[in-house]
Amino acid sequence: MNAMGFAWRSLVRQPARASLGVLGVAAVGALLFDMLLLSQGLVISMRGLLERTGFDLRVTATDALPGQGPLIPNAIERSQAIAHLPSVRSAIALRFANAVVLAGGPRGVYTTFQGVAGTGAVHPWTILRGRDFTSGRPEIVINENTAARTQLAPGSRVMLRGSCTDQAQALPPVPFIVSGIAQFPFDSPNGTTIATSLPMLATACGGNESNEADVIMVASQEGAGASAAVSDVARLLPDLHVLSNAEAVNRFERGGFTYFRQISTVLTAVTLSFAVLLITVLLTVSVNQRLGEIAALRALGFSRGRVVADVFCESVLIVGGGGLLSLPAGALLAIGLDRILKRIPGIPADVHFFVFEPSTLQIHLLLLSATAIVAALYPIRIVTRLPIAATLRDEVVG
Amino acid sequence: MSTTNGHVIEARNISRVFPMSAGPVTAVADVSLEIRPGDHIAIRGPSGCGKSTLLHMLGCVEPPTAGTLLFRGDDVTKLSDRQRSLLRLRQIGFVFQRFFLLPMLTAAENVELPQSEANVPKAERRQRTQELLEYVGLAARAAHRPSELSGGEMQRVAIARALANNPGLLLADEPTGELDRATGEQIASLLDRVNADGTALVIVTHDPALAERSTRILSMRDGRIESELTSA
Repeated sequence: MNAMGFAWRSLVRQPARASLGVLGVAAVGALLFDMLLLSQGLVISMRGLLERTGFDLRVTATDALPGQGPLIPNAIERSQAIAHLPSVRSAIALRFANAVVLAGGPRGVYTTFQGVAGTGAVHPWTILRGRDFTSGRPEIVINENTAARTQLAPGSRVMLRGSCTDQAQALPPVPFIVSGIAQFPFDSPNGTTIATSLPMLATACGGNESNEADVIMVASQEGAGASAAVSDVARLLPDLHVLSNAEAVNRFERGGFTYFRQISTVLTAVTLSFAVLLITVLLTVSVNQRLGEIAALRALGFSRGRVVADVFCESVLIVGGGGLLSLPAGALLAIGLDRILKRIPGIPADVHFFVFEPSTLQIHLLLLSATAIVAALYPIRIVTRLPIAATLRDEVVG
Repeated sequence: MSTTNGHVIEARNISRVFPMSAGPVTAVADVSLEIRPGDHIAIRGPSGCGKSTLLHMLGCVEPPTAGTLLFRGDDVTKLSDRQRSLLRLRQIGFVFQRFFLLPMLTAAENVELPQSEANVPKAERRQRTQELLEYVGLAARAAHRPSELSGGEMQRVAIARALANNPGLLLADEPTGELDRATGEQIASLLDRVNADGTALVIVTHDPALAERSTRILSMRDGRIESELTSA
């Protein structure tokens, strides 16, 4: 019987103790798994979201996030100039404003209002029904939440009142036709968003905001790559700030996302400490109960290495069993926690706090393996230093 | 170069001193002893006289702190822990007062365990285990766990386990200490048979009846061999 088989039989000998150990490790392992998912989840999710928009560069007037800093003047001409760079495939100017869609109730529905300018470019949304708006026409695309709350559908006519400044305005409503229903990548679960061309947004805002944008979104040529496009745009428009997706993600990581990583690091350390203590206590109790047997085995010729291997294999079996259970438990817990955290206002629906990557599984495995080793150290020390003759004498006297 | 002189064990002036906080305690002092193949030796004496310590030294469990102990000509004090483990595994059998069978294993598995540790091929150890259980009269209880066996049966399994790797020396520490008189008699007869089949036997016992079955009776007091009685 090898050490693993022997360890298995030792565990099965006291099924309640073994089950408690495995369940304890499963609970701790599930938390550990979730902390690992959380540590990188937002960053991975945000990176995926940025990449799914089809644009890999963002050009803004200052270092501030789009929509939070000053506007880019002459945005249409500048986006066209960027689009002509050899390293660039397409570029669009994007303006964020607000609008009240006068439908769905006496007060209408407040929406985020996006205006886009750019020729031959893909828009950063996906058409679900109907079609995209046609530039130059008073057409809008609306998201599902807006459609549901206003009862509008492709082909519907609607009046809307735009607002492009922070100050209160009483602009006259402007008529639009709904051309399609679209999914916007950065929408929150309850967010209401509509979009049209930049000139039409300017019209809805009173006609004075026709050529300013919050951000110019750029798609690099496939062969050129984002870094070449960043250099080209920075050379062309040195007064603007250019950020690749990777740089934007790095900024996120250095900014608010750092807290999630710090929290998960602290909680990971705490959960691992609990796991080590739990297994160490279980194995130590188990070893102390069997000192006589272990001493007898040593007297019968079992080497020190063999009895150490027995204890270590017990640790591996407890951690391995608990670790296996921890994966589905952790996944279920992550789904529940993600749902809770996504209720935070303003979080895009497509952003997740807990995101699985194969490397997470590798780190989880690595940490649990380290736990099994560290947890076994003290009971192994007991076994290694066990005085055979004295223990046999004590067992008889006891 | 090691010479055996035909002895299984040759102890020359061996002592065992335990360092204690109140000062060193001498458990065994200046004992010389030779054990030959087929010897049947009993060690007796009052509690604390050093019987078990001497047995453990003879069984290479703990080396002497002074003197020379040769096992088949090899100086035990010069062997590493690993080498002493191997020597015990292949050449020495132990029988304990409290049996120390592993409760999660069946009788057969307990007997098979030392063979497995000695890397005996599976088929061979199955065969040997079957033979040994038949030898101790427990073939029908092979699949039983220790909790399902009586004290005498457990000790018989322990003897079978001690004989698993066919040792030349069997050491038994109070083998009948936990058994009633009739069962103790059965175990004593079994040990006699083991000895008669060629295994040198050293028994530590308080039981005069068990000691008198031996051909050499060593009486110990204060860590020393006070006298040796030899019968034909």
